[in-house]
Amino acid sequence: MGAARKPPVAQRGALAWLRQNLFSSWGNAVASVLSAAVLATFGFELLRWVLLEAHWGPVWANLKLFAVYRYPPALLWRPFAGAALVMLLLGATAGVGERQGESIAGGVFWWFLGLTTLLTLIGILAWPVVRWGWLALTLAGVAGYVAGRLRPALVRALPWSWGASLIVIVVLLGGFGDGGAMRSVSTKEWGGFMLTLILSVVGIAISFPLGIALALGRRSDLPVIKAVCVGFIEVVRGAPLIMWLFIASLMVPLVLNVSPSAVGPLTRAMVAVTLFSSAYMAENVRGGLQAVPKGQYEAAQALGLSGWQRTRLIVLPQALRAVIPAIVGQAIALFKDTSLVFIVGLFDFFNVGNIVANQNESLLIPGGVRLELSLFMAVVYWFFAYRMSVASRQLERRLGVGER
Amino acid sequence: MATPPVSPGGGRRGGGRVPFYRNVKTLGVLAQVVFALAVAFAAGLVYHNVSTALARSHLPADFSFLGVRAGIPIAETPIHYTPSDSYARAFLIGVLNTLKVALVGVVLASLLGLAVGVMRLSANWLLRQLANLYVETIRNTPLAVQIVFWYTAILTPLPPRVLSAVRWPGGVLVSNQGVALPWPYPSPYFHAWIPYLVGALAVAAAVYLVWRRRLRRFDRPGNPLGPALLALAVVAAAGYFIVGRGGLPQGATTSFRQVSGVATAFVDANGDGTFQAGERTLPFTPLVARVPEGVLTTQTQDLSESRHVAYARFRFPPIRDGEYDKATVTFANPSEATGLAIHFLHDPYQGIVYRDANGNGRFDSGEELRQAGANPRGYAAQIRLKVEGFHRRLVTDRDGQARIPRFTSGAGGQSSGGGGANVSPAQLFAAPTSPKPESAAMAADFELQPARPVVLSHPSIPISTYFGGISLSTNYLALLLGLVIYTASFIAEIVRGGIQAVPLGQREAAKALGLSDLQTFRLVIFPQALRIILPPMISQYLNLTKNSSLAPLAAYVELFAITTIIASQTGASVPVTIMLIASYIVISLVFAFVLNIVNARLALVER
Repeated sequence: MGAARKPPVAQRGALAWLRQNLFSSWGNAVASVLSAAVLATFGFELLRWVLLEAHWGPVWANLKLFAVYRYPPALLWRPFAGAALVMLLLGATAGVGERQGESIAGGVFWWFLGLTTLLTLIGILAWPVVRWGWLALTLAGVAGYVAGRLRPALVRALPWSWGASLIVIVVLLGGFGDGGAMRSVSTKEWGGFMLTLILSVVGIAISFPLGIALALGRRSDLPVIKAVCVGFIEVVRGAPLIMWLFIASLMVPLVLNVSPSAVGPLTRAMVAVTLFSSAYMAENVRGGLQAVPKGQYEAAQALGLSGWQRTRLIVLPQALRAVIPAIVGQAIALFKDTSLVFIVGLFDFFNVGNIVANQNESLLIPGGVRLELSLFMAVVYWFFAYRMSVASRQLERRLGVGER
Repeated sequence: MATPPVSPGGGRRGGGRVPFYRNVKTLGVLAQVVFALAVAFAAGLVYHNVSTALARSHLPADFSFLGVRAGIPIAETPIHYTPSDSYARAFLIGVLNTLKVALVGVVLASLLGLAVGVMRLSANWLLRQLANLYVETIRNTPLAVQIVFWYTAILTPLPPRVLSAVRWPGGVLVSNQGVALPWPYPSPYFHAWIPYLVGALAVAAAVYLVWRRRLRRFDRPGNPLGPALLALAVVAAAGYFIVGRGGLPQGATTSFRQVSGVATAFVDANGDGTFQAGERTLPFTPLVARVPEGVLTTQTQDLSESRHVAYARFRFPPIRDGEYDKATVTFANPSEATGLAIHFLHDPYQGIVYRDANGNGRFDSGEELRQAGANPRGYAAQIRLKVEGFHRRLVTDRDGQARIPRFTSGAGGQSSGGGGANVSPAQLFAAPTSPKPESAAMAADFELQPARPVVLSHPSIPISTYFGGISLSTNYLALLLGLVIYTASFIAEIVRGGIQAVPLGQREAAKALGLSDLQTFRLVIFPQALRIILPPMISQYLNLTKNSSLAPLAAYVELFAITTIIASQTGASVPVTIMLIASYIVISLVFAFVLNIVNARLALVER
């Protein structure tokens, strides 16, 4: 009788997975052990530092500064109301989408609802001033989601609501008149994460039509228009945003021929951000225009549509649909790049970090709190940018860009 | 049956001419004229507004300010620069500093990005996740946050002065004044090697041509560049060793100034033994410095380092093991130091003065000279370090100078103070007395060494700055680290995409031919992936260069930073705007040019 045969090597189960993925060869085993060691050491040290050594006091004490900078504390309900409106619309979009078996907006919604729920809990436990604000945000999100689930017909109102919400929020934050709950708040008091979001959203929103116009101009048969558009796009894209912000802060008062104090830093930053963003938007849209098959133009011509009709009804809808992921990508980039507005003297989320780092309370801590601040800011930026980039990838997959 | 003429325009009645307002061509011209007029009007308006505003504010409107003395101190200057140089030269320094960070950054980011990109496709799950973590964290965090993180959170809390620099393996010195690395320099004997270098180039060219002919004749695949480079390296290396050491010019000597601790290596043309202006110095020449007996004096102070306060700490310029025969540390004035003792942290140059309360001769916690309340400045005791048989190998800098610690003879070094034997420590809080300049001559000897064509200069710390090697400021390092790590996360994605875009069949075919994994990657996958990778990679290089404009966040002075300083000093908004835009357009054009060449070279040759 022959010797008993060894049992076959397992093909399933945890051990097999380990063998296939981590220890398939000697080199792989070494790499696994090394990277596990790096991860464990780094993770442990980070955790130990975050939990035991870090001084989170200055961050915790300045959360209001980080969120809205010097926005009057009595009027904090206004930024909260604006955020609640966004959550409401996001919830509705997610609800409608999930009802239709479409989960991209839903993913974003649940991610942010998780955040507001967490903040509500923290608010109830330790943060009395704003607990109702966070609760309102969470409830608005839930309400929107339920409405979206129950009334799919809302889908038609959503695009307009999103557009209108932008104006409503800007009016809400800016206010009007001298007294009362809606008294106007100077943009000098705006700042923090609120400003970061406003700059990126308004920047993208205004640069969208400008970018389309520039892209169409670049594709135009008319040489003068084409040359001007190409020149604008290439010059703007050739230099970094921080330079345009700096130049805007130097040149806007000169170009308008007014005294420097007449143009606030927000206006200067907005001009630079919008023009910069529109040049990149133009290139994105151009990519979409080039992706529209020539047959579509010819078919539109054959139907007797005029040039304008052809662009508006046939070409642009297809082109813009194809570039949605690229535009989301651009929005993420702009969201990160708004950290450069420190150069014009605005106090966005990033620049508030510099204020906090130089407060007396922070300086009294030996070694300062720069590490804590960097980590805090990185996590906040990451939380938004990462989720948007995931959504962008999902959109890309759904639209099948790159597979056609 | 006659069919009526159908026109493309559709709406034409009869066979008449198209009215001009419906003619596409006329409309096009008209639209362009209107557009051009509008643009010209806007430009005119801007011009008018700007010139009115400038006239009102009396700000400079032309480039004449460029010749004026700038008065801007710049810490890092690749070429000679002083604050009394002109604005134009300051701007040039900025441009060179941009190049310095961009070129190094591009190379490092490519290497890191390539490594991470390949890791993301590794068969090893953990490696893949590690690379994934890196890319997803770094890409989704603003570069500004990252640069500030490196600058303020990592590099600034490093040991706060050069004297307490940490020594890393390989002779690297690290402190928050920067990192100093060993660096090779061409010695005065370099010229002897030049013929061999020229010869090496010639041989390499010959090998290249011959090899290419051979390959063509026998119709073999292969790249003649490899053998050519090998020949180049072999001939150059052989020449290097044949040349050997040698070549100190006639009359080479040194002169030493004890006060500053600086020795100058020079060619003594007039034979008077001292260095005169106009005599040729010897840059990058190796020498050995010897001080038979010398004394250093310092004072203790309280230092706040990172998150700890060190009480009554003293430091001498670091002297390493093997650089001295004997070292003794004493209180300069023993009578003042009753009950105090010295504890070494780094023998013999760093230590702490403590009160040996329990008399066990050891430094225990709680024995620090911590002064509560009245005088928080701590103890200021004079400490003397007597070094016997000091010797150090050095390489002179580009001015032919070599620095050693400022030893004194120690003959007159005894402090005159210290009346009673029992001085309470509180009396030590008197204002620090600066050590008196020593007048007594001290023996120091500098022996110039025969040099190889290239000498490796190791950094040392003679007084309170780095000497020798190459030192990189924390500003530069913070910007570089930020740019490299950020850009590498994008390059990694490009590399991954490029490799994945190579059809699977290529990999299978390579396997079928019996190529190993490494060969498959190197010979089959990578060359094809490169075609896809390079164009977006070059645009990432452009991004890195543009992003170097975040330099103000790390207080590094490059193109953008220097321009903001110039603008704030002169108020020359318009010229500065033009300079900035022009600089970046030139940079973009250079990259576009390179991209076009690369695209042309990479284009598939289709048959």
